[in-house]
Amino acid sequence: MSTPLNQVDDPIKDPPTKGKKSGIGLGQYILIRALLIIPTLLILVTLVFFLMRVIGDPITASMGGRLTPAQLHERIHAAGYDRPILVQYFEYMGQLLQGNFGTTISDNQKVTTVLTTYGSATLELVIYSVIVALIVGIPLGMLAAYCRDRWPDAVLRIAAILFYATPVFFAGLLLKLIFSIWLGWLPVSGRANTQDQLILQGVQHPTRIYLIDALRIGDWSAVGDVLQHAILPAIALGFLTAGVFLRLVRTNLIGTLGQDFVESGRSRGVGEFRLVTRHAFRPALGPIITVMGMQIAMMLGGAILTETTFGWEGLGYMISQYLKARDFVAVQGIVVILAVIVAVTNFIVDVIAALIDPRVRY
Amino acid sequence: MFKPKWQAAVAVAGVTALALSGCSSSTTESSSKGGSLTVGTTDKIVSLDPAGSYDNGSLFVMSQVYPFLMNSKPGSATPEPDIATSAKFTNPTTFTVKLKKGLKFANGDKLTSSDVKFSFDRQVSIADPNGPSSLLGNLKSTEAPNPTTVKFHLKTKNDQTWPGVLTSAAGPIVDEQVLSKTKVTSDDKIVAKKAFAGPYQIASYKKNNLVSYKKFDGYKGILGTPKTATVNMKYYSDPTNMKLDVDKGSIDVAYRTLGPTDIESLSKKKNLKIHKGPGGELRYIVFDYNTMPFGAKSDNPDPKKALAVRKAMADSVDRAKIAKQVYKGTYSPVYSAVPSGFLGSAEPMKSMYGDGNGGPDAAKAKKTLKDAGIKTPVKLHIQYNSDHYGASSSDEYAMVKSQLESTGLFKVNLQSTEWDTYQKDRVKDVYPMYQLGWYPDFSDADNYLTPFFLNDKPGQAFLQNHYRSTKMNKLIHAESSEPNKAKRKKDIVAAQKLVAEQLPILPLLQGAQVAVANKDVTGVTLDASFKFRLGTMKK
Repeated sequence: MSTPLNQVDDPIKDPPTKGKKSGIGLGQYILIRALLIIPTLLILVTLVFFLMRVIGDPITASMGGRLTPAQLHERIHAAGYDRPILVQYFEYMGQLLQGNFGTTISDNQKVTTVLTTYGSATLELVIYSVIVALIVGIPLGMLAAYCRDRWPDAVLRIAAILFYATPVFFAGLLLKLIFSIWLGWLPVSGRANTQDQLILQGVQHPTRIYLIDALRIGDWSAVGDVLQHAILPAIALGFLTAGVFLRLVRTNLIGTLGQDFVESGRSRGVGEFRLVTRHAFRPALGPIITVMGMQIAMMLGGAILTETTFGWEGLGYMISQYLKARDFVAVQGIVVILAVIVAVTNFIVDVIAALIDPRVRY
Repeated sequence: MFKPKWQAAVAVAGVTALALSGCSSSTTESSSKGGSLTVGTTDKIVSLDPAGSYDNGSLFVMSQVYPFLMNSKPGSATPEPDIATSAKFTNPTTFTVKLKKGLKFANGDKLTSSDVKFSFDRQVSIADPNGPSSLLGNLKSTEAPNPTTVKFHLKTKNDQTWPGVLTSAAGPIVDEQVLSKTKVTSDDKIVAKKAFAGPYQIASYKKNNLVSYKKFDGYKGILGTPKTATVNMKYYSDPTNMKLDVDKGSIDVAYRTLGPTDIESLSKKKNLKIHKGPGGELRYIVFDYNTMPFGAKSDNPDPKKALAVRKAMADSVDRAKIAKQVYKGTYSPVYSAVPSGFLGSAEPMKSMYGDGNGGPDAAKAKKTLKDAGIKTPVKLHIQYNSDHYGASSSDEYAMVKSQLESTGLFKVNLQSTEWDTYQKDRVKDVYPMYQLGWYPDFSDADNYLTPFFLNDKPGQAFLQNHYRSTKMNKLIHAESSEPNKAKRKKDIVAAQKLVAEQLPILPLLQGAQVAVANKDVTGVTLDASFKFRLGTMKK
């Protein structure tokens, strides 16, 4: 007896496939990605902890050559740096888990104060740099796509490589040499001139983002001064990312320009410029948003060199000072915060990417 | 759809451009705005609390905002009572200070002997790893019998360095109402509570960034009334940025620490003036008595031959050439363990070695080695540090090597090591001879003798080079407890002569203090106290 065509042998074993997901769901994906941040941070904090101990203690760095070895040892002992390194590690981790970042050794400041005070400066620089990167990278990328395979495209592609490949400190020094020293147009270093900085130091409840503080008190002279000081560091750091954006926009736009809906527009007589700036641009923007998140990590790295070159008193500038002083408490605190920022940014980027394209979860 | 956004972007760019163009003339800031003076430095502040800092950057601030019992007038390095009417030994182990009446801190708190006792007691009890408590090693106890009298009871008799100690990083007087008795107090609290009673008080404070000083009218000490009401102190991490700012007029004075080439370059600018003063920094070579050629633990120990090697090296180095070519005159040759500018400082090595006038003499070096029966060339291993004594150390020691080898008497193996390793290795006799430098804690010749050469027990001196001389110990004990200045001077000179004869170290250079100021700034005072005087400057 044959089975009727409409009869199913075992309906339970053969459920309908419509809507079935072969991998994990979005919720699970987000949870796993969030949990992955913990071991990442743990490994980083551990590495920094032990590496900082390898390069020496702050007492020897500051007092060596002034005290006898016995006095030096006495001070190292008093500070507890001669205890077993694992004891110091677990003590540090215990404090960290309680949210206590400690007090810097070399200048007796709470690490949280250092983070809030100087983190704002780094944030301000990164914002300026992103603006520079967008203003420079996107239009030039569009221009390169518009002029694809012609000489302006070639020039812009080379420029993009130069932006990306030039070490940020070198670019900074070059900009300083040209615009500050030779031409004298812009300040050499710092975030504001002395008088304006004193005014901004006196602001009640400061954001420590100088531009915002200057705008809040309505001091236009200070606003201009702050922007003047920001131009060169922002360009030095922003061009690094501008190079990435330029190439990305160009590549995506060229890809989008070959798609049916653009061809359709072209056949309707829409001009090439209009196609690039209106029709193809928006679909090409998605990957840039994703990359922008990841570029923040790169910018934080670049900020260390930019801030040091321009005396921009942010976290990057401070970490270089604390490294010189072998101040492990400060360096660990700053690295942890930078790592959290990078990890959270990457997490957000991954989640956005997963929302846009579910394939990344599988 | 995009049009409004593009228009907005163009508008923002336009406004920004306008804002910038409107301010373009102010790239060189007017530091004279408000009649103030702006000084730049690359020094760092460790702590405003005297118990928590033992460094030049912090002492600089303390010298402006805290009163001292003893201080020196601008232009001098001799300790005199500052906020005291008298300060002297009332018996061999008691140093009694009488305070001026009516002293107050900027916050209105009274400054009495109780604050003084508090200041010294907390230094000793806190003994912070970053602090200067080691300078108070001779302090047994502090007593405040009445509001204007302080008695320091000392462990050794007639300690002639004690007035100097009171001028040092251990000596600032702090407000017991504000600072903690048991721990280092935060800068923010000290600034907020105005715990100042020096010539200046801090009006605005951003650590290691920008500090603004305002004249404090309640100060009654020997430094006098500041000539400029407001002085701003700008901190740099990069000396090049400071150099550029003083050149452009963004700051009025650059003090500590510009490199030799920067100073040479700035000296050619018409708008600037280079101010130089005596410097307390000593740069020298240490001989390890165990591991140097013919040292006690070498393959062929012979103290006489080891001494001959040291002497021949002293005959061969050309200090003036190093000072001129490497340091462009920012250092000067030194021919003694005690640099010039201190009581009793002499130059015994100038006549004893080389051409007898400070210059090198290869023939004399050859004779010294030949007389001692030493075959040449003598192999030397000289170690220097690449990151602690400035970038020019490499050039300095390259020149030392070149000078020694040019005599044909030495073959030098020159090596450098980073500071952390260097510090540990040097006291383990790893380096037969090596570079060191020294900044004094206070302006007294003893600070170049006791820490270096006093070895009542092995390992006492920080040099750790196994040099030990009973004669030297006696001389140091004598000079450090001799109240009679003339007799003390004699002992100090004798100690220097003994160093020249025995050569446990080979002094090379003495640092100069250098400040670069705009020509319209007057009163830049660089004296042997090594304290930079903000209050003497004006424009």
